[in-house]
Amino acid sequence: MSRPKLELVKLRKEYSDGTVIAVDDIDLAIEAGETVALLGSSGCGKSTTLNMIVGLENPTGGDIQIDGATVVTTPAGKRNVGLVFQDYAVFTHMTVRKNLAFGLEIRGKYVLETNRAVEEVAELLNLSDKLDVSVKELGGSELQRVAIGRTLVTKPEILLLDEPLSNLEAEARLAMRRELRRLQSEIGLTIIYVTHDQVEALSLADRIAVMNCGRILQVEDTSTIFDKPDHTFVAGFLGSPPMNLLRGKFAAESGEVSFQKDSFTLPMGGSGATPAGFYTVGIRPEALSVSSADTPAIIGRINNVEPRGPETVVTVSVGYETLTLVAPPTDVLHTGDPVGLDIDYESLVFFGGDSNRREELAVAGRIF
Amino acid sequence: MEKKLSPLQTVIMGVALIVVLFPVFWILMTAIKPPTDWNASPAIWIPSEPTFVNFQTLFDPDALGKYGVGGVSQPATKAVLGSILATFVSTALSVIIGLFSAIGISRYGNNSKATPLIILSGRMFPPAAIAVPFVIIFSNIGLIDSYIGLIAIYVAVTLPFSTWMLKSFVEDLPREIEEAAMIDGRSKLAAHLTVTIPLIKGGLFATTMFIFILNWSEFMFALVLSYTDVSTIPVQLAKYVTATAGTLYGVQAALAVLAMIPLVIVGYLIQGHLARGMTFGAIKQ
Amino acid sequence: MTQIASSISLPTKGPTTKGLSNATIARVFTVPGQVVSMLVLILPLLVALYMSFTDWSPTRGSLFDAVFVGFENYSELFVYDTRFTYAVIRTFLISTVCLCLEFSFGLGLAVLFMRKFRGKSVLFSAFLTPMMILPVVVGYIFWMLFQSNGPINQVLEFMFGAEAMMEWFRSAPPAIFAVILTEVWHWTPLFFLILLSGLNSVPENPVRAAVILGANPRQVFWRVIMPTLKPVIIVAFVIRAMEIIKLFDEVFMLTRGGPGSSTETISLYIYKLAFNDFQLAYGAAAAFMVLIGSLVLVHMLLAPVRDQLLEGE
Repeated sequence: MSRPKLELVKLRKEYSDGTVIAVDDIDLAIEAGETVALLGSSGCGKSTTLNMIVGLENPTGGDIQIDGATVVTTPAGKRNVGLVFQDYAVFTHMTVRKNLAFGLEIRGKYVLETNRAVEEVAELLNLSDKLDVSVKELGGSELQRVAIGRTLVTKPEILLLDEPLSNLEAEARLAMRRELRRLQSEIGLTIIYVTHDQVEALSLADRIAVMNCGRILQVEDTSTIFDKPDHTFVAGFLGSPPMNLLRGKFAAESGEVSFQKDSFTLPMGGSGATPAGFYTVGIRPEALSVSSADTPAIIGRINNVEPRGPETVVTVSVGYETLTLVAPPTDVLHTGDPVGLDIDYESLVFFGGDSNRREELAVAGRIF
Repeated sequence: MEKKLSPLQTVIMGVALIVVLFPVFWILMTAIKPPTDWNASPAIWIPSEPTFVNFQTLFDPDALGKYGVGGVSQPATKAVLGSILATFVSTALSVIIGLFSAIGISRYGNNSKATPLIILSGRMFPPAAIAVPFVIIFSNIGLIDSYIGLIAIYVAVTLPFSTWMLKSFVEDLPREIEEAAMIDGRSKLAAHLTVTIPLIKGGLFATTMFIFILNWSEFMFALVLSYTDVSTIPVQLAKYVTATAGTLYGVQAALAVLAMIPLVIVGYLIQGHLARGMTFGAIKQ
Repeated sequence: MTQIASSISLPTKGPTTKGLSNATIARVFTVPGQVVSMLVLILPLLVALYMSFTDWSPTRGSLFDAVFVGFENYSELFVYDTRFTYAVIRTFLISTVCLCLEFSFGLGLAVLFMRKFRGKSVLFSAFLTPMMILPVVVGYIFWMLFQSNGPINQVLEFMFGAEAMMEWFRSAPPAIFAVILTEVWHWTPLFFLILLSGLNSVPENPVRAAVILGANPRQVFWRVIMPTLKPVIIVAFVIRAMEIIKLFDEVFMLTRGGPGSSTETISLYIYKLAFNDFQLAYGAAAAFMVLIGSLVLVHMLLAPVRDQLLEGE
């Protein structure tokens, strides 16, 4: 197996003499050419990790290795790592060309060589016709392309992007997402995104590392992490609307196994032994559907109906609990109506009630 | 990315500090030198018997009479009082007129590009050039050697500055605040008096202090317009210096120190607004 | 100032509530200022203009009886008066040197203040002190310092021996040096203040981006930070330039324009003309020329920053 391109080994960052732990001994290995998203909410340590990788901040502990060699002692400009800031941070007093050429000019490269590189990158990013325009006249997504191009010109081995889509409006966001995917396939760099937007992560990355409170909770390729989240936090973070999570216990009543939380009962559709202790069940909104059967698995009352165009998000009260599901736009649903729900048992996941980690269970004749 | 000072940089800063503070040190020392030390050669840096007698001599015509005649034997009393009168009155007038002009232009003007430049132009004329016509006008209407004339010039010359500076403070205030007061039923005048002005208190204070500094320091107009009735501290200092070809060091320095004290205090008070004031509102700290 | 009157028009929106109308308020508030401004700007200009075409002197009775001499004063000023020409050139040269020095020292100090060290706020106040002192007092202090038996000569003797001492006010070069040193000491703090303020407001991320792209500190400073400071620098220069061409107080106390007229600035020359030699009409002509010249000059200086100044409002 080849060596990973970038490896974080027990990486740690503390502030204020150790009272604040921003990054808590994380390990992460990233292969050459892959795209990884660091996903998490504000303050989870993802931006700090990014800053340490590029060299803007020094780790308190642990190591960062590129191609097997430690880079922690190498200054930021010499690590061959590029960073695109969330606010792009282009040089406002220069033209696009000068911005792009900056990295080469400061290295004293000859004019011809610089021009060639600049024009190549401009071509790649559709900036060729704006090369001699002052950056002050450009709009959001153009500025971002300049910021990206500025780093690409120096041919970094690893490219980091901090919240690349968050400053763009919806339309520009879609376009940029396409651009970034195209770039990924064309230039084949190792890319790391930092984002709080799971849609961004899901659409752009090969693998996602979900972070919370300075730790990486799960690193998995995109489809797997979506289907099989390892942690309740991950489960609750991914997906829109996110997974329904309910903490309760199994019960068996005259042979019928069910999962119960207070007044909420989820029949498991089978019989057999029940695992003891608390568990949290994860039910994807997509796994629930409005039932036309006479005896649906779950009965509740519609709480809220939110049409979203191609789908409708429905909140249903079941006892004291609330479940969210997505329904096709054609369903006729009114707030206050009683409703029955069917459930796709295959997609259920269970997490330990206290550990919050996913567990494989055999219950009621199925394996979860 | 804040690094500490390197040893070389510390040395440079130390040297700079000495250069900056030495002249101040010198004049303070000179002000407390006893008369015997004044003309020592080489000049004495720190008097061995410091005394405050120079400050008393300043106001004592008999003591001063010993050093010569004419400008030299004048006690500084009139100059100090004159400076206080001229500065306070002209500052107050300049700020008040400037305040209302600022509100008027800022809230009811249309911000044409010409206005700021016109206001700024007033500040650019060399005092000497303005003084000549003024002296002529004043001597024709009997305002030479009068505080009224001096105050009038001080107001006129500092008005562009006070207007400009206050305008920038008023513009920092959102219009909606006054409009809310007006909708509440107050008249425009009342709204400005009870809402606008209190809210720019800090800026008003800073502007007043700046105009104070300008007027207190003013030399040329005072020099040209003062004969027997009018005197200000800068003029008196010049008289002490020119009249004796400089053998009155201690007394001169004492007067200079007296002149400096108010400004150092004021400067400290408005430190936060210095950048704005010194650049006429162009740069905010 | 009549331009201000015509430039005020009424806002079409906003409450027209009880009390005086917008128009009246506008007039009432701004009229005092306009009256004063008109008096100080227009009136002297007109008087100076009128007088410059006469040969009036206070000894010749009332101004209104003065004899009209046409452009005689002006032709003398331009053609024969080398002293005036020299004063103008001298003022500009001294101003340029002072501005460059003030800028360099101010920048150096501001860069130092970007580092971390103890007592920063106290030191900051200390370095601002010189510009808080009255110009006459500054002139006086340095007049003392440059005396033959004064501390500057003493230090020179201590460092370089007795030959290094000099009579600062006896000949032109040392006198001019003294004037420049005094001015630079007095006003470097202003550049320091403005530049420090500017440096502190340079956005961080572009600087970081430059570092990541491999720039060393010097490259970051000259290629990223300084260009960002350009508007601030221009404002500082213009503001200071406007004031320094009026240089009077310090020079008056230091040298009175001497030795001879070797440190005579424009302001000093006009002062002498009008108030020492009582050539008021001629002085008026000079004054008028200087007034016009300042207007033109500052208009030119302000042109690049005009939009910036107005944007910042």
